[in-house]
Amino acid sequence: MAANVRDDELEELMRGVVRRERAAFAALYQRTAPQLFGIALRILRQREEAEDVLQEAFTAVWDRAASFDPARGSAMTWLVTVLRHRAIDRRRRRAHLEDRLGSDEDLLALSAAATDEADRGAGLAALQKCLGELEAQPRRAVLLAYAYGYTHEELAKRLATPIGTVKSWVRRSLERLKRCLDG
Amino acid sequence: MNYRDPKLRDLLAGEYAMGLLPRRARARFERLMAEDAALAQLAADWQERLAPIDASAAPVAPPRRVWRAIEQGTLQKSFPAGPQSIGWLQSLAFWRGLAGAAAAVAAALVIYIALAPGPVRAPTVLAVLADSNGTPAFIATRAQGAGEVAVDPVRPQDLAAQKSFELWAIAGGPPKPLGLVSATPGKPLLVPAGAVGAAGTVLAVSLEPEGGSPTGAPTGPVLFQGKVLAN
Repeated sequence: MAANVRDDELEELMRGVVRRERAAFAALYQRTAPQLFGIALRILRQREEAEDVLQEAFTAVWDRAASFDPARGSAMTWLVTVLRHRAIDRRRRRAHLEDRLGSDEDLLALSAAATDEADRGAGLAALQKCLGELEAQPRRAVLLAYAYGYTHEELAKRLATPIGTVKSWVRRSLERLKRCLDG
Repeated sequence: MNYRDPKLRDLLAGEYAMGLLPRRARARFERLMAEDAALAQLAADWQERLAPIDASAAPVAPPRRVWRAIEQGTLQKSFPAGPQSIGWLQSLAFWRGLAGAAAAVAAALVIYIALAPGPVRAPTVLAVLADSNGTPAFIATRAQGAGEVAVDPVRPQDLAAQKSFELWAIAGGPPKPLGLVSATPGKPLLVPAGAVGAAGTVLAVSLEPEGGSPTGAPTGPVLFQGKVLAN
């Protein structure tokens, strides 16, 4: 599968980074930065902030590459995790959190953009199917939180629902997604 | 919170992967993961389940300045000490300001570094060799008290097969060959400090046949150059 070849390559580059090889670090950046920058932009909606977060994330990658364990998950997922948490922190630090999404059409773009990436398409198809089994509002909550970095508070505001309800939507959705994906 | 309840552990791992844990709760969760491999695995499994959503973000090429800032920032961490005086090198704001500007700007800042007061523990930057667009390509540094100057690319440089980069010192007379420099960072050319010459000497890198110029003088184009600002 194409995705596995790519994952193997990234793993090899990660090993190079652990050995302090600058060329491996540069190649890792070259392969993954556009996807990571796209993810940061989707969360932050602001180029300069997304650039800063990308810089912070790769600096952390250089420092902490040794903590990546290929037995646990893929290199790309590890990189995304390093980046996403920083992007979400940055987003939360903003004085006021504006509602940046125009409409739920943006969420539908999830499937459209992803079909371009054939090797990742299969994983998304399975996830889409399971997301489709959730009710509309809980599904929105999951997507707004994961893709756009919404906090519980923001979800409550945007979905005009008490925060306790939103929290239990997310928890129940996670349980259902797990059953659907693993089952 | 009871971190032994299997259901709760999995839910927390899911919320961690979602990015929904508040900052402090997340830091606590990360500390727990460091000691609890099974918990770390739960979180990693959640990250893999949700990862397909990441692929739905359209890739966007970041501007080059981001890589430059990353490179400079991490490069300095390889040095034994990182004094304040060269902190600008890793500042993305600095590279944003430099975008499009000539290497003269970088050179001016190198002077600042070289003359910066206070104890200097990190290597001194002697010269920045830039291409014709002013993009820094090689950096010459000298550790305090060291008898040698290290010349290393700041990022991998394109070099055709059967070609070499050769470093020259030019100070009034004919160019003096200093040796071959690598196209990839990490294997710096070490040159006796005396051979590099005093401030004002031009360091240049030319494209030569593999193994270096057969004549002892540059035969190919000069691709990168910069002035020695202090030595």
